[in-house]
Amino acid sequence: MAHAHAHGHKKRYTGIMDWITTVDHKKIGILYLFAGLLFFAIGGLEALFIRLQLAYPMNEVVSAQRFNELITMHGTTMLFLAALPILYGFFNYIIPLQIGARDVAFPFLNSLGFWTFFFGGILLNLGFITGDGLPDSGWTAYAPLATEYSPGTGMDLYSIGLQLSGIGTLLGGLNFVVTIVNMRAPGMTMMRMPLFVWTAFITSILIVFAFSALAVGLLMISFDRLFGGNFFNTAAGGNEILWQHIFWIFGHPEVYILVLPAFGILSEVIPTFSRKRLFGYTSMVFATSIIGFLGFMVWAHHMFTVGMGAVANTMFAVATMLIAVPTGIKIFNWIFTMWKGQVRFTTANLFAIGFIPSFTVGGVTGVMLAMAASDYVFHDTYFVVAHFHYVIVGGTVHGIFAALFYWFPKMFGRTLNETLGKITFWLLLIGFNLTFFIQHWLGVVGMPRRVYTYLDGQPGWNEMNFVSTIGAILMGVAVLLVVINIVITLMKPKNAPADPWEDGRTMEWAISSPPPEYNFKQTPLVRGLDAWWVEKRAGNKEMTPAEPVGPIHMPNGSILPFIMSIGLFIAGIGFMYDTLWAIIGGLAVLVICMILRSLIDDPGYHIEPEEIEGKGVKA
Amino acid sequence: MAHVGQAPAGDQVKRSKGHEGPRNHLITFAISIILTILAFAAVSIPGISKGFVYSLLVLMAILQVIVQLGFWMHLKDRGHFWPTLAIIFGALVVVYAVASAVFWIWFV
Amino acid sequence: MSHAHVEGNTIDHLERATLEGKNKILGFWIFLGAEMVIFGTLFAAHIGLRGELNGGVSGAEIFSLPIVAIMTALLLTSSMTSVMAIQAMHRHELKGVALWLGITVLLALGFLGLEIYEFVHYVHEYEFNIQQSPFSTTFYVLVGCHGTHVAIGIVWISLLIGQLFKKGLTVVTAPKVYVASLYWHFIDVVWVFIFTVVYLMGKVG
Repeated sequence: MAHAHAHGHKKRYTGIMDWITTVDHKKIGILYLFAGLLFFAIGGLEALFIRLQLAYPMNEVVSAQRFNELITMHGTTMLFLAALPILYGFFNYIIPLQIGARDVAFPFLNSLGFWTFFFGGILLNLGFITGDGLPDSGWTAYAPLATEYSPGTGMDLYSIGLQLSGIGTLLGGLNFVVTIVNMRAPGMTMMRMPLFVWTAFITSILIVFAFSALAVGLLMISFDRLFGGNFFNTAAGGNEILWQHIFWIFGHPEVYILVLPAFGILSEVIPTFSRKRLFGYTSMVFATSIIGFLGFMVWAHHMFTVGMGAVANTMFAVATMLIAVPTGIKIFNWIFTMWKGQVRFTTANLFAIGFIPSFTVGGVTGVMLAMAASDYVFHDTYFVVAHFHYVIVGGTVHGIFAALFYWFPKMFGRTLNETLGKITFWLLLIGFNLTFFIQHWLGVVGMPRRVYTYLDGQPGWNEMNFVSTIGAILMGVAVLLVVINIVITLMKPKNAPADPWEDGRTMEWAISSPPPEYNFKQTPLVRGLDAWWVEKRAGNKEMTPAEPVGPIHMPNGSILPFIMSIGLFIAGIGFMYDTLWAIIGGLAVLVICMILRSLIDDPGYHIEPEEIEGKGVKA
Repeated sequence: MAHVGQAPAGDQVKRSKGHEGPRNHLITFAISIILTILAFAAVSIPGISKGFVYSLLVLMAILQVIVQLGFWMHLKDRGHFWPTLAIIFGALVVVYAVASAVFWIWFV
Repeated sequence: MSHAHVEGNTIDHLERATLEGKNKILGFWIFLGAEMVIFGTLFAAHIGLRGELNGGVSGAEIFSLPIVAIMTALLLTSSMTSVMAIQAMHRHELKGVALWLGITVLLALGFLGLEIYEFVHYVHEYEFNIQQSPFSTTFYVLVGCHGTHVAIGIVWISLLIGQLFKKGLTVVTAPKVYVASLYWHFIDVVWVFIFTVVYLMGKVG
């Protein structure tokens, strides 16, 4: 395949500069992972404070205003700055390896996506440092609370910070779509892709279309807040329900964006540790596609009580319940995969297996909520809180930890400590069930969401809230153990083999741990589903190559994405504080960098065969 | 490694095949102009019922967009499976959202 | 030494000759899908809120169909000229590409000039600004978003013309030209909906 490039030189950066300028999907994946874990810890601290405040009636750990800020930041941070970036970390690192590619389609854009996400996350959290107020209108930022009734800069941090972060996510989604469509190794048809790649593909499509709607909604909030717009200003004739529609047109696909990758992770981990191929590959692919498609048709189930009328409510209720069908297919397929397999209970597999009942509980309460009539009882109570924490913690978080333990050796060359991992799993399982199972009852006996305290003497509220808080503390300890595990493992020498679980089925296990800079010495030839397994069964020690050994073209790193993100960050602050020079300066930095990138052709560099043969190339 | 820019051996030089010239594109231009004029005319001629005018306008717009997407943006050509899918999926999301907005705000 | 200079006009579709070019084109189509959702959401807001005048003026009162017709003619023609630019690119005629792209930019400048005049006129004559009503807010954000896209396109294509003269028509610059032309057609497609839904339907009431 002809490549358009001259013979260039490699720009050599080291240390921090290497990480700031990298366009390598593996490094960017690691950046996403650690940034996400950092925000996960921050979100977790916010949760602990929430639970501490709610442990006793009429408690005074934090003020009402502070509590509102905590719940807003907890939700926003966990969903946008922790869960999705961690998943992006795995997408970035693993997808090119699983499809036999050397990088993603747009390495520069990949870096830009990370840095805009990161600086957006900093902007969102800036209130902690400036003391100027944090976002406080809930992660759903309903108008007119978010517009008219939140003067000050708190909600500007939300609308502008999330906008910036969202741009990064959008760029990432776009990147993965093109990568998966265009850059699969020869022989890898769509129906030979690993299921993790399939779910990443559908997720990325959802991201491209859903985050665009959010971007517009946030723009509308910014216009109302900063420029006197009337989108949601009822006094002038605006319509605050419009915000709810736009937000949930984004918001519902968002939750599938969070859970589909976890489905994909399960479809990798469970077959590997059952020594058996995935049951029902084709139905899994179709189920994922249907879930993705239907995900855009059900948003108003978040708005049953708003007054759309019985007809609309029914349509959305039925569509929502429909999604349970393909999801159920997936659950059964994982169980059938394990059936009569040689199951090994490694930590990764424990999390994967733990996902199945936990997510199912969340899914079942989801169907209960989908019934519009009963939703009138559940809406805005702790029943809803219980439901979504079951699907997110029982689902996405379990998937994330499974992926962490599964792919850690591939990414870092050492395996996480299994004993610590198992303790973590049990602590998390007990803790999260303790925290959230009891919240189903709490909701049914009437405790509303988003209240910063409650009166004494309500039936069972004191005991249930207290138990819930104990569970949260256990979860905190579990997460701490993960952090300790990562730290002590990174201090050990890099000695993991290419296929540390010995039963790897997909191509990432065919190359060293961690892989060299260029991933594959020669682009592999894919001869079937579970490409590496096929080669192992044929007695080969390596993937069959699809090309002769030749010079490998690699892209150069660039400082521009980092600078562009800073420019946008400064412009964002300028909009918030009405500072013209910051707006113009920040946007000018952005535009100049874009022009530089377009005008200056950087042809990258080559790694010559002699460097490859001796395996002398640094990872 | 193949170098771009060297003529292939022999005389298998590909002539610009399938380039019928600008004919289809000019036809698209003409159709667009006609549809636009019709749309402006529908609004300027008195006596037509509002509902009918609206339907006509939507029809003209959709037709014009289809020919522009198909010919000017090459969606009808080979090798455009994924772009077509992207546009159709985007259109579905948009139509559903716009239809809901229209329905809920104007008819409920 | 660059091997990207094309000898002998033998490559049929220069923009698709490399993996990078194909990636850029597919990537841009996906981006256009996202843009559809962006404009679609803005349209939904406008259609929903255009009846709320808050005591201010309506579209029927202030829109001038002759000006909109001229703007449409300019933009439509500029879309046609960008097609001619791609045709010239497929014939490997650098000067033709630059010429047609240049005409595209001029027509676009005419469009943008008229739109700015229109907005300034509304603000002066009717105090029709973003703050007046939900109708005005949605009008300016929707039509202004489109206008911003036009302005960005003008800068982009102008820089592209400069690049073509400096670097020539290569497998690196060809995808840029193709993608810019896709962007430009999309701008015109969105304008079809804007003049239909905002101006024509606005005039009808």
